[in-house]
Amino acid sequence: MHRVAITGLGCISALGHDANSHWRSAVEGVSGIGPITAIPPEKLKIHVAAEVKGFDAEKHFDPVKLAVIDPYSQYALVAAREAIADSGLTFDHGLHDDTAVIIGTGIGGAKTINEDSERIFGQGKIRTPPMSIPKLMPSAAASQVTMEYGLNGPAFGVTSACSSANHAIGEAYWMIKSGRARAAVTGGSEACLVFGSMLGWQALRVLSVDTCRPFCIDRKGMVLGEGAGVLVLERLEDAQARGARIYAEIAGMGMTSDAGSLTDPSAEGAARAIRQALDEAEIAPEGLHYINAHGTGTGQNDVAETKAIHLALGEAASQVAVSSTKSMHGHGLGAAGALEAVITARAIADQIAPPTANFTMADPECDLDYIPNAARSMTIDTALSNSFAFGGLNAVLAFRRLH
Amino acid sequence: MSEVDTKTVESKIVEIVANQRRVDPAGLSLSDRLEDIEIESIDLVEIIFAIEDEFDIDVPQDRDAMKLDTLQDVVDGVQRLINEKNAA
Repeated sequence: MHRVAITGLGCISALGHDANSHWRSAVEGVSGIGPITAIPPEKLKIHVAAEVKGFDAEKHFDPVKLAVIDPYSQYALVAAREAIADSGLTFDHGLHDDTAVIIGTGIGGAKTINEDSERIFGQGKIRTPPMSIPKLMPSAAASQVTMEYGLNGPAFGVTSACSSANHAIGEAYWMIKSGRARAAVTGGSEACLVFGSMLGWQALRVLSVDTCRPFCIDRKGMVLGEGAGVLVLERLEDAQARGARIYAEIAGMGMTSDAGSLTDPSAEGAARAIRQALDEAEIAPEGLHYINAHGTGTGQNDVAETKAIHLALGEAASQVAVSSTKSMHGHGLGAAGALEAVITARAIADQIAPPTANFTMADPECDLDYIPNAARSMTIDTALSNSFAFGGLNAVLAFRRLH
Repeated sequence: MSEVDTKTVESKIVEIVANQRRVDPAGLSLSDRLEDIEIESIDLVEIIFAIEDEFDIDVPQDRDAMKLDTLQDVVDGVQRLINEKNAA
C-alpha cells in the first residue's frame, strides 16, 4: 500500500479563476454569491447564485475547439491545467500510462442539454448540432483532460449528484494507494446555471431567496454555485523523491448509502461514512481538528449533518472546528467536493480554518463550533471534507498534514 | 382562471392532494392536518407544483409555503394568491 500526496491544486469558482484566489476569498470570508446574470431575472423566482464571473472562454481555448467543449469541460480543463502546472509533473518516463483521470459531475453538459432542448422543443427544429452527445456526456471532462495531456491510464467520469467530486477523488486515492495508478488528475466540475436546470431547482424549493447561511436559525436554503476543482495526487514516495511541494496527504475515504429517501438525508448513513474515513486514516475522534462540512444551508441537511458528526465523534464533536464554505462559493453540486478539497488542502498547508460566512445565530439544533464569519489560525493536522448527496449517497475524505 | 369560486378551489385542492397520496378525495376533510394525512415535505413540493400549474399562480419561494398546517390553510393561501393575481 502507498501513501497518497496532494501535489497540485487548481480551481475556478465564484471566488476566482485560480486556486489561490478561491482560497484567499474563502479565508477572508468574502462571498461570491450575487445576482444571477446568465439568465434574465424576469424568467426566474430565485435571483441569486454563486456564478463564475468574467470567464472569457476564448482566452483559454482555441475558438475552433471551443465549439465542441461544454462549459463544464472548460472549467475542468482550466482547473486541471492549473493543478498540473502547480504540481510540476511532466508525465514522462512512462508516467502518462500510469496516471488516472477521474472527474466527477452531477449533470455533465447542462448548457448543451439546455440549448438542444430549446432548439427542439422551443424552436421546433429537428436537428441538433452533431457534437452534442460527446459534449454533454458526463465523462466528457475526463476525456478532455486525457487528450490535452496524453494521459493513457484509467480514466472515467463519476456521478453521484452532490457527492460526485468526493467519490471521484476517493476513487483516485484508492487507485494510487493500491498501486493501480502512480498519479491521478482528479476532482469535479459543474456548469449548471442554465435556465432548465434553475427551473428544476426552484421547483424543489430548496434554494434560498437571499444568501446561504449554513447552520443558522434563519437559513433559507442553498445557493447554487458552479466551477471546477482539480487535484494532482501521486505516491508520497514519488512526490518526495522529486522534491515536490506537498499540501497534505489524503489518508482515508468513507462511502456509504442511506438506502432511504431521495431527498431526506440520514444522519446514520453520513455518520458511517465519517467513521470509515477516520478509521482508514487512523484518526481518533479526539485527534480530528477540522471538518469542511457539506453545510448546504437547507433546513434538513444542516441538522442531519450536525447529528452525524455527533454520532461519529461522540464527545469529541464539541472540540472539532467545522465550517461550510458553501456560504461563499455556493453549492457546486458535482464540483462541490473538489472546491472544498482545494480549501481543505490549503487549510492544512496554511494552518488556517476558513469561516462559515453570512453567519447570524446558530440553529439550536446545530450546536457545533462553526467558525462564524472569521477564519481561525489553528493547528490542523487532520481534516475531513463531507459530501452527502440527494439519493442518500455519502462520501467523506480524510486529509492529514505531512510531518 | 379569473372567476374561480371558493368551492372550485377547495375541490381542486382536495383532488390534487388526494392524487398525490393516491387516496379517495371523499376521505379528506379541509380540517385535516397535512401531517396527519402523511404529507411529507417532498409531497408538499409536488402539491405546490400541481397547484401552480392548475391555477396559474406563483407560490412564493420563501419558506412560509412549507409551513402550512391544514388543508384549509392551503385553500386560504391559494385563494389569496388568486385574488392578488386578479387585482394586479
